[in-house]
Amino acid sequence: MLHRISKAWARAEMAGAAVLAVAITGLVLLNVVTRAMSASIFWVDEAAIMSMTWMTFLAASAAVHHGHSVSVTLFTDMLPEGAAHAAQRAVDGIVLGFAALMLWLCWRWFLPLDLLRAGFDTGAFQGETFNFIYAEPTLTLGVRKFWLWLIMPLFALGVTLHAVANLTRPWNARAGAGA
Amino acid sequence: MTAALFLALLFGAVPISIVLALTALSYIWQSGNTVLFDSFAQQMFAGTENYGLLAIPLFMLTGELMNEGGMTKRLVDAARVAVGGFRGGLVWINLLANMFMAAIIGSAVSQIAVMSRAMVPSMEREGYDRGFAAATTAAGGLLAPVIPPSMLFVIYGVLAQIPIGDMFLAGIIPGLMMAGSFFVVVTLIGLSTQFPKGEWMTARAAVQAILAALPAALIPVAIIGGIVMGIATPTESAAVASLIAFLLGWLVYGELRPSQLADLFLRTARNASMVIFMVAAANVFGWVVIYEAIPQKLAALITSLTSDPFVFLLIVMGALLLVGMLIDGIAALILVTPILLPIATGHYDISPFQFGVVISINLALGLLTPPVGVGLYIAASMSDVKPVAIFAALWPFLLAVVLVLLLLCYYPILSLALLG
Amino acid sequence: KDLRLGLITPPSHIWTKAAEDFGNDLAEASDGAHTLTVFPAQQLGSEAEMMQQLQTGALDMAFLTVAEVSNRVPDFGAFYAPFLAKDISHAGRILQSDLAAKMLEDLPAKAGVVGIGYGMAGLRQIEAKGAVDSAADLKGKKLRITPFAPILDFYNLLGAAPTPMPLPAVYDALANGQVNAIDMDAEMIWKMKYYEQAETVIVSNHMMFPMVGLVSAKVWKDMSEEDRAMISELMKARLDEVVETFIVKDTEWLGMVKDAGATYKEVGPDFFGDVPAEWDKIWAEKSAVLGDMRAAADASAE
Ligand code: NA
Ligand code: NA
Repeated sequence: MLHRISKAWARAEMAGAAVLAVAITGLVLLNVVTRAMSASIFWVDEAAIMSMTWMTFLAASAAVHHGHSVSVTLFTDMLPEGAAHAAQRAVDGIVLGFAALMLWLCWRWFLPLDLLRAGFDTGAFQGETFNFIYAEPTLTLGVRKFWLWLIMPLFALGVTLHAVANLTRPWNARAGAGA
Repeated sequence: MTAALFLALLFGAVPISIVLALTALSYIWQSGNTVLFDSFAQQMFAGTENYGLLAIPLFMLTGELMNEGGMTKRLVDAARVAVGGFRGGLVWINLLANMFMAAIIGSAVSQIAVMSRAMVPSMEREGYDRGFAAATTAAGGLLAPVIPPSMLFVIYGVLAQIPIGDMFLAGIIPGLMMAGSFFVVVTLIGLSTQFPKGEWMTARAAVQAILAALPAALIPVAIIGGIVMGIATPTESAAVASLIAFLLGWLVYGELRPSQLADLFLRTARNASMVIFMVAAANVFGWVVIYEAIPQKLAALITSLTSDPFVFLLIVMGALLLVGMLIDGIAALILVTPILLPIATGHYDISPFQFGVVISINLALGLLTPPVGVGLYIAASMSDVKPVAIFAALWPFLLAVVLVLLLLCYYPILSLALLG
Repeated sequence: KDLRLGLITPPSHIWTKAAEDFGNDLAEASDGAHTLTVFPAQQLGSEAEMMQQLQTGALDMAFLTVAEVSNRVPDFGAFYAPFLAKDISHAGRILQSDLAAKMLEDLPAKAGVVGIGYGMAGLRQIEAKGAVDSAADLKGKKLRITPFAPILDFYNLLGAAPTPMPLPAVYDALANGQVNAIDMDAEMIWKMKYYEQAETVIVSNHMMFPMVGLVSAKVWKDMSEEDRAMISELMKARLDEVVETFIVKDTEWLGMVKDAGATYKEVGPDFFGDVPAEWDKIWAEKSAVLGDMRAAADASAE
């Protein structure tokens, strides 16, 4: 059940990432064309970069589900089967630990409870917490930066989901999936 | 304690990006500067906010489109026209086609994957030893990250805050030296073991092969021309190249359908993110490393050993050859640049361009050195040879690269001449 | 306490030197109780990132352009009123005005930082590829700017396509055509040899470019009164020195650029038509102090 949710969520993340890859290509080409016509659009660079950032963190979360990542498997490859399974579980556990830490760091960063307590009045929130993230502007996009930063808690939640799903899967299902 | 954690996680097969992030967190915890926790996620996000990094998905997309669209195989055929009739013709074709491809592809691993499939079976059919065929192809793949465009240089440029276009220029002479050294190696091998005879194409077939490859040759022309003539940034030329590759594959060669695009973009998103996420993790890692003034402390140690930049580079090379045995290419570059670059430029007055060229080639070499060598294993699986058999034929090429590296360390001008 | 100060300029720059001098002064005055490590050249991140680190207290101090501050506290946009300062020494006097000092008082509540005093860089000029005979020739040009609203509005009114870009990326972008004009100061035009890439130097002196010395408000509130006074006094002295240096140097650099053989074109407010007046209309609403700022400038114009 948890695995199915994790799989569906990873699919959605990858679909979003692929759409953003299209957006990156389109925006950079748009830049070439508009400059050639001396009609450059000033927000295109930042939009392309933000597309890339979202693509990266969406796909990086999905990679935890798919088991796609660069790692040094030199020593774990030499282990006998039982120990290899245990090592794999340990890695899953460490990834979950990382996800939990990211959640905690995002919590400290966004301080959602304090914001709620301040009645979403960011001025009062700033005075209380010395936290200025809701006031931070983007350079050219005309939206507050925290909307874009929201990818970080989304990423942390995604990794947590996938890591828990990986940990709770039975041994044999794991081997069959070739993860 | 942090170093021990780092090594345990790294060799415990934890994903490298997560190793970097956890190491940074552990260091913050240990140093007591817990205020850094409040900026941690934000710094990780900031690590991806870089215009230069956009080149990575775009170059990957171009590579995918060229493969699927039949452009790779036509470029190989065109190389056949030029040198196919010499004794050992296919070896020369292999290296020449690798030089071509290196002007399009930015990553050694993808080039080895592409070229192994295109070259090794036909070399074996003409009577070459399969291990030697795979070794030549794998060595040729090392040109990809040195001859521009180059993913390693893009990432190095971002980490070092230097112009990526200039970094590309710095790689041209070293790349040609490497290619030259490979030609010398195969000539020497050809003298000791008779290579099979090659066969010239008929004039008709030759003309056909060249005509077929002409449109595909537009792609390297667009990439390099765009950058050198100042029409487009490296990032933009990659986008233009991907558009050309798509149109050629679809309309001219008829091997690509728009319906395949969804799959191509999925693969691009997946592979690009893997790299960029590592860059993001390296950014927080580098931030903590600099915040704690670690390069200064390491620099004090190394500068007490030598004050000669060449000796320093030799120490770095030795260390990186060791690092390269265990960690490869981009991942290794991301780990070592934040620590070593400030020492090289700050204490030895080494140009960041020369340093970038030297450590990039050094770490690309690691792709082919056992026990961990992604390039070696990809060559092995693509050409169905044992890694050991490839390595047995590969070492003369690796030795040649080490000699080129020594020259690059000793003569900065080789990296800097084209920078003006 | 071991303090950290970040800034974007390279190690050899006047701002960086001032930061290091301040660090030495501080170590001496406190008998080594306080030391300062300077992180130049964006080692700790861009100005926006350093601002965020000041807010969390991860970074103790920074020398940031007022542009970065005005992104968060729009009142500061008034410093960028076109042709506010008639020349570089006038710019220095504006920064010493009571109004400028009073504006720093808003910073703790609005941006989480304490403003100690102002430094500056030279006045802004324009450099472009190709000939520029009138402001109309700048229309549609992709023109590099420091990313902040006042300058963005100025060039939007002019009809150019302003492209925000950090300083280290400029040379590359100019060389490979990512931009074909830049908004820049004399020092950088001379030292980075931008005139080799873009041959027309339009000496407009159209804006001043203040810098501000900041301390994290989180760090500040835990400091003793004596420490605060000591830091304020020592940092302010070095910042004043920066202003004085630029007053002398800005003219020198312009002279060297002129002698280097670039197409050198001196223009006044008229060159930009009604753009300065239009800019004032927009900014009278965004910045409550624009009127006072113009008045303060007139008062110190001599
Ligand atoms: Na290449
Ligand atoms: Na290796």
